[in-house]
Amino acid sequence: MLNTVASSLFGFIYVSIWIGVGEGSSLGEYGVQGMINYVAFNQACLWVTVFLTNGLGLENSVRTGQISMDMMRPVHLFYMLMCREWGQIAYQFLYKMVPIFVLYVFVLSLSLPDRAFTWLLTACALLLAAYISICVQYLIGVCAMWTTESRWLVWANFAVSSLLSGFLIPIEWLPGWLQTISRLSFYPYLQYHPTRIFLEYENGTALFGSLAWCIAMTFICIAVTAIVRRKLEVQGG
Amino acid sequence: MNELKLYGLLIRASIRSRMQYKFNFIFSSLMALVINVMEFLLIAIILNRFGDIKGWGLLEIGYLYSAIILSRALYRTVASDVHHIERYLVNGEMDQLLTRPIPVLLALMSQNFNILAAEFFQGIIIMTICINGLMAAGQMTWFDVPLTLLMIVCGGFILFTIGLITSTVGFWITRIRDLQNITEDAARNAAQYPISLYPKWMQLILLTVLPVGLVNYVPTLYIIRGEMGPWVIGLVLIFTAGFLWVGLRFWRVGISRYQSTGN
Repeated sequence: MLNTVASSLFGFIYVSIWIGVGEGSSLGEYGVQGMINYVAFNQACLWVTVFLTNGLGLENSVRTGQISMDMMRPVHLFYMLMCREWGQIAYQFLYKMVPIFVLYVFVLSLSLPDRAFTWLLTACALLLAAYISICVQYLIGVCAMWTTESRWLVWANFAVSSLLSGFLIPIEWLPGWLQTISRLSFYPYLQYHPTRIFLEYENGTALFGSLAWCIAMTFICIAVTAIVRRKLEVQGG
Repeated sequence: MNELKLYGLLIRASIRSRMQYKFNFIFSSLMALVINVMEFLLIAIILNRFGDIKGWGLLEIGYLYSAIILSRALYRTVASDVHHIERYLVNGEMDQLLTRPIPVLLALMSQNFNILAAEFFQGIIIMTICINGLMAAGQMTWFDVPLTLLMIVCGGFILFTIGLITSTVGFWITRIRDLQNITEDAARNAAQYPISLYPKWMQLILLTVLPVGLVNYVPTLYIIRGEMGPWVIGLVLIFTAGFLWVGLRFWRVGISRYQSTGN
C-alpha cells in the first residue's frame, strides 16, 4: 500500500515538472495534457515492465546455496524463474498498476482509448515488455554467479532504462546520439511504444520489434544458462 | 568527546574492513556514478531542450540538484545503517548493538561505514560548474560559497533526521522500506527540482512534514535568487537544530519500545 502511494507520488512529481515546462512551451504533438497522459501511463505501467524482482532472486539463491538445488531440478532454470516471475507480475498488475492507473484517471484526467483494439494492442505490448524485462533481470541475476555486486547492475539497468526507455521524456526529444542508442536497444519497447500505443499516437507495428527482441533475448538467456551449468560456484549453503 | 573518538575508531575499522574488497568498492562506485549521471542527464536534457522550468534555468536547477546530492551523500556516509535499520529489526541483529557499552545510535552509525565517492564526485563537479556559471551571470559572489557549504551540511542533518525518524517508526512497524520510499526517496526526488513546481498541498508537505524543501530550495531562494533575506539562513540553522533534537528524542522513545525478533 505504502509502495503504491510512493509510486503515485513520483508520478505527481514528474507530471508537475511537465506542467512547469509546458508553461513556456507547446510540447510538440503531445501538448500539456498529452504529456500528463504520457507520464502518468508510464508511471503506472512501470510495475509490470520495469519493477520486477531484482535479478529474479538469483543473487539471494547464490548467496544461500539454493541455486545448486534449483540447477538440479528437471526443469530449465530460466523457465522456472520466468514462471515464478509471471506470478509476481500478475500481483503487481492487480495491486500496483491498476490502483495507480485508476487514481490517475480521476486525479489527472488520464484519457482512455475508445477503441477496444487499442486496449488489446496495449495489453500485448505490455505482455511483451514484461517478458523482455524478465529476460533482462535473468541476465543480471546470472551475473551473481561471478560477482557479489550484481545488485548494482539492477540499479544501473533502472537508471539507463529511465533515460532510454522514454519513461520521462519521449525518445524523439533526446539528443541525436542518445536517440540512436535508444532505438538500437530494447528499452523503447518497455515503456515508450506501449505508452504511445495506449495513447493512440502510433499503431501496433512496434509490436513486431517487441516480438523480435523477445525471441533474441530468449536465445541469449538459454545460451547463458548453458555457460552457467558448466561451472557453478555458490557462496553459501 | 569520548563518544566522538570512539565513533572515529569504529569508522576506521569499518573502512579497513571494506577496503579488503577493493574490486567491490571500485565497481560499486562506478555503478553509482553511472546511475547518478543518468539521473542528471534526464534533467539536463529536458532543460536543454525547453530552456527553463517556470523561470528556473539549468544552472539553478543544477545547483539545487547537486546540493541535495551532497547533503544525502553526507548523511548516507556518516550514518549508512540508520537507513538500513530494517535488517537489524527483522533479523534481531539490534540485540548485538544493545549489548555494546556505547550508545545504540552511535553503534548503528559506525556499522558498514560507506564513503559515497561517486555521489561526492558528481555533486562537487556539478556544484562547481553551477557556481562558476552563476557567478559569471552575477547571481552569486564568493561570499555565497561558505553559505552554500553551510546549506549542504545543514541539509545533511535534516536528511539524517528524516531518516532517523523513519527508522524509529520501525520499532513499531518493523518493515519500513516502503515508508522510506515516501519519506526519503520520493521526497528527495521532489527536492531535486524547485518546490514551486508542485501543487500547494505537496509544497506544504515538502516544507513541513517532510522538510526536504529546507535542505536546498529555501536557502537557494536567498543565495542565488536574492529573495527574502539573510534571516532565511538563520531560520534554516535554528530549524535544523530543533528538528535534530526532536529526531533524537523520538529515537529514545522508539528504542525503549524495541522488541527483539529473529533468532
